Amino acid sequence: MTAAFRLGETEVVDTFAEAFPMRFSRLVITAATDAWALEAARSMTGFATSVIGCKCEAAIERTLLPAETPDGRPGVAALLFAMDREGVGKRVLERVGQSVMTCPTTACFDGFEGDENTVPLGASLRYFGDGFQVSKVIAGKRFWRIPVMEGEFLVSESVMVGRGVGGGNLVIGAGEESAALAAAQAAAEAMRGDGIALPFPGGIVRSGSKVGALTSKSMPASTNHQLAPTLRALLDDTLVPDGVTALFEIVIDGVSEDAVREAMRRGLHAAAGAGARHITAANFGGKLGEFHFPLTELRDPP
Amino acid sequence: MTLTLTLRSQPPRRVDAAPLIPERLSGFEADEVAAITLRCGGDRIPIGDLFEVSGDDAQELILAGDLRRFDGIGARMSGGEIVVRGDVGTWAGAEMAGGVLRIFGDAGHRVGAAYPGARAGMTGGEIVVSGDAGEEAGAGMRRGLVAIGGRAGNGAGLRMLAGTVIALGGIGAEAGLGNRRGSLVSGRAFEPLSSYAYATRFRPPALGLQLRRARELGLTVGDALLRGMWARWSGDITELSRGEILIFEGEEDGE
Repeated sequence: MTAAFRLGETEVVDTFAEAFPMRFSRLVITAATDAWALEAARSMTGFATSVIGCKCEAAIERTLLPAETPDGRPGVAALLFAMDREGVGKRVLERVGQSVMTCPTTACFDGFEGDENTVPLGASLRYFGDGFQVSKVIAGKRFWRIPVMEGEFLVSESVMVGRGVGGGNLVIGAGEESAALAAAQAAAEAMRGDGIALPFPGGIVRSGSKVGALTSKSMPASTNHQLAPTLRALLDDTLVPDGVTALFEIVIDGVSEDAVREAMRRGLHAAAGAGARHITAANFGGKLGEFHFPLTELRDPP
Repeated sequence: MTLTLTLRSQPPRRVDAAPLIPERLSGFEADEVAAITLRCGGDRIPIGDLFEVSGDDAQELILAGDLRRFDGIGARMSGGEIVVRGDVGTWAGAEMAGGVLRIFGDAGHRVGAAYPGARAGMTGGEIVVSGDAGEEAGAGMRRGLVAIGGRAGNGAGLRMLAGTVIALGGIGAEAGLGNRRGSLVSGRAFEPLSSYAYATRFRPPALGLQLRRARELGLTVGDALLRGMWARWSGDITELSRGEILIFEGEEDGE
């Protein structure tokens, strides 16, 4: 574990983040007020931290001004990632059905312009309308009007599925828990943006994992013991350096390799500027993931 | 590229302008287009005798002038765009299947309608008329949008199957007679036929999108229409009763 370079007081380890190809959709949720749009988006992207346990990873990408949405109301763009197209389709359908359609005043649109590689959304949800649903083709795209107790829920017939990258990450540590968390929060703040989803609570995960387990053959993942400070004295191969007592990981899913790399660059420099003492990244030896993001490539500030 | 036809002189009789659609003129040079003849009464007249023709390869076709004697402009078109600067005759966009027809002027009777005997009229595409439209706009329509900035004459949406007819300046009497699943929209107060039943007042989310689209296509759509409340009437009860007439009620919530 050698330092690749330093940024002020921050030591950046000579390692890389390892990421995987994923499929994703972008949903635009609008509502009568920005608060209701946010409620729907939070519910829809809830319990979507990791594909291992939640079958998808989702997060709010950004809030949208009325001028940026299809119906001129305040909105939120959310990204949802899964391992394949079918997975994206199933999760989008479940989540829009349970979290967006149910939420007062909402409408739900495909956040992409194109019409290729789609999965059904309104095309399936319409059956909730029990035969009373109506479709309209507007500017070449089909929408469904589903009658509900408050009026009508308007939803796109289908949503596009794109090819993205999931599992980019940074691990940020410091001498005190509060300092490490402040640095991680600064990094998460800097990383959010177009094309980026940080699926963990507040964008930050404190229980980083490794693939498999030492004690079980059936566990798909278990604690990243090498980065657990309480185990330092037990292990010969600890990765927690002297003087670091807490580490936090930020997992990044993005719409492209470039989006992930640039988000990591923003995060790394923001964390360094906010008191991080140690920055590293999680990988699986480089054999599992198609995408590698060496931290040395992030040396230049954004 | 754009092909522009500017009217030079009024034809002696009414002209069937239905051949003037992008898919039929595409690939022709201006002089070739000028040589095409149109039916005018019992005769045929070369386009070049009626219009100044410029440009080429008409994915976008511009027609300019007082075209009230020209019937069937954009009829049965399936793609591309026609922009008309001036008033047009009857049957504009009749049985249209796709593409965009924008008329900056008034339209005659039966814009976007079905020809006599046909079950379905328009099956797709978008028509906007900045001025008024005559009778039976969107008659027999199956899919698509007819958006009229002014008033629609009597019998709009006659025997409509589905699709949407919007008239911001209001719709005339007997609108939506025999309507099955279509949407008729009146920007002014209107009393529907007895075969329609009042349902509710609400903000129709799909109509918002359609009005925005109409605005994008050049219609003047006031913000009040986008923000406001609409009454919904269901009908025609003599058919499925799955059609609707939406009538603008103003911006107030009525609370």
